[in-house]
Amino acid sequence: MQRRRSMKILVPFKSVPDPNDATSAGAAVSPPKSVINPFDEIAIEEALRIREHGEAMEIVAVTIGAPAVDEQIRAALAMGVDRAIRIDDSRALDPYAVARILGAVVEKEGPHVVIMGKQAVDDDSNQVGQMLAGLLGWPQATFVSKIEFLDNKTRARCTRETDAGLEIVEVDLPAIITTDLRLNEPRYVSLPGLLRARRKPIEVLTCDQLGVTVRPLTTVLSVARPPRRAAGTRVESVEELITKLKQEAKVL
Amino acid sequence: MDFAWSDQQRELLDAVGRFASQQLNYNVIDNDRDGVFNHDAWKKCGSFGIQGLPVPTEHGGLGMDPLTTVAALERLGYACKDNGLLFSINAHLWTAVTPLVYNGSEAQKKKYLPGLCDGTLIGGNAMSEPNSGSDAFSLTTTAIKKGTTYILNGSKIFVTNGPVADLLVVFATVDKARGPDGISAFLVEKNSPGMNVARKLEKMGLRTSPMAEVFFENCEVPEQNLLGREGGGAFLFTRSMTWERGCILASAVGSMQRLLETCIRYANERKQGGQSIGKYQLVASKIVDMKMRVESSRHMLYHYGWLSGHRKAVYLEAAMTKLHIADCWVKCCEDAIQIHGGYGYMTEYEIERELRDAIAGKLYSGTSEIQRNIVASMLGL
Repeated sequence: MQRRRSMKILVPFKSVPDPNDATSAGAAVSPPKSVINPFDEIAIEEALRIREHGEAMEIVAVTIGAPAVDEQIRAALAMGVDRAIRIDDSRALDPYAVARILGAVVEKEGPHVVIMGKQAVDDDSNQVGQMLAGLLGWPQATFVSKIEFLDNKTRARCTRETDAGLEIVEVDLPAIITTDLRLNEPRYVSLPGLLRARRKPIEVLTCDQLGVTVRPLTTVLSVARPPRRAAGTRVESVEELITKLKQEAKVL
Repeated sequence: MDFAWSDQQRELLDAVGRFASQQLNYNVIDNDRDGVFNHDAWKKCGSFGIQGLPVPTEHGGLGMDPLTTVAALERLGYACKDNGLLFSINAHLWTAVTPLVYNGSEAQKKKYLPGLCDGTLIGGNAMSEPNSGSDAFSLTTTAIKKGTTYILNGSKIFVTNGPVADLLVVFATVDKARGPDGISAFLVEKNSPGMNVARKLEKMGLRTSPMAEVFFENCEVPEQNLLGREGGGAFLFTRSMTWERGCILASAVGSMQRLLETCIRYANERKQGGQSIGKYQLVASKIVDMKMRVESSRHMLYHYGWLSGHRKAVYLEAAMTKLHIADCWVKCCEDAIQIHGGYGYMTEYEIERELRDAIAGKLYSGTSEIQRNIVASMLGL
């Protein structure tokens, strides 16, 4: 068995509209800012902790998008990622296309482990990690809330959060690990980190350079807001509530 | 003058806003009621980089120019609702950190600045005395040299951060007969023998910023803790006050912007008489006034920052900026309460607290009357 002293971690992330940005009001405010997908931020944090623990030597972040996503790339670099790759492609790509592009990046970079969010909070597809594992023929551990490396970092023991409870799996490395909410609480980007990030390299590649041709298999036809909830009514007594639950809501 | 932010400045400002809104707004109502300083939030601000904004990089800071610094503090005031915490940070920055940057010896800077920047040390100053406020240079605290130490005697009041400070810049006179030329500044560490931080002062607003009376009774300060030269205290104080006047209400501009947005939202949502209250001209007019105050305040603030960054004289501009913003902040808070009606008077709506916090702006760093005196004197009156 080859002795693996220190790992290289690849963290793919997606740029999404800030879920904390409440700009729905009528005030003249700017459109919602983009941020790193929160689940991917957890993946970055985990990679940083693994490095701080002495188990990784390099963390590379990768994302796909137009130059505008460089701001989120710098946020990742400011958190402490060593370097970043942007695949210059502004098309609306579906999960399979993203997985294929990431597959080519994995081939190029040769990481020992890929850690990424279980899903993006904008489209909630929850497919890229699994598809990437399938394309590469790598094992996968999804919805992970705890990661430990075993046997000279040739295997990882991951705790998965499932509906039935906590499931503990072991995967041989290299592997794909997708992160769940409770894995960690990401650090905030500090101003000194932000200044340091400006000196870190961002490599820009195209799909052509990676040798992949992607075509979306799915097309988004429309996006609509959920219907507004009607206002509630106040009831005078428990009896009235029960009557309404029986006759109007028909839940009793 | 160019107030268009570069991509780098915008990124920095966004990072400040994001950090502050996510990390600093917990327990604010409780802490205000109980008069509790949020030490954890202070440390977070330090590790994030707030306390190091204007400090040169070689001393552990970020080396930001004044314009970027005030813009960052404005964003901080927009995103963080704990005005007391921000007041403590301002006192720390302009009355302890800045004097050290400008007048500290290399040894003093090395010893204190990194900790003052990263949040491990809290600074403040002790200038005002029970009988010496606006007439600051009439102070009576004495510093008598004895061998290699100065012996301090006297009492100081309204010492911001007093109860929690690790380091105070204390002003005392080495010779009362010399008047302002006798005033000197000393770096006094907490727990110095003879320094007694007495009762914490209860106040109307800024209740999360601790304030105390401090007594010096034969307090020994080593001579290497003299800040600047002996007798240089008045100049040092005037310079640090100019910084303070220009910058201390930067966060108030952010607070006003937040109040404005809160009021627009409320005026659109709240319906009375079959329409949004914002459709009533009396309400709309108040909101327009608020907008005018935010914009004029912001322009004066940025103008001050730009001039200061270009090493122009800012004595007049700092006084005008402070005078104008302090006034606007109180008026915006009053309007915001009026627009919210009874709800605005309720603690949970977090507007009445802003008013209590804002009123102090017309008092600290020189009252509005003193600012007017400065402006008048600069106009040749």
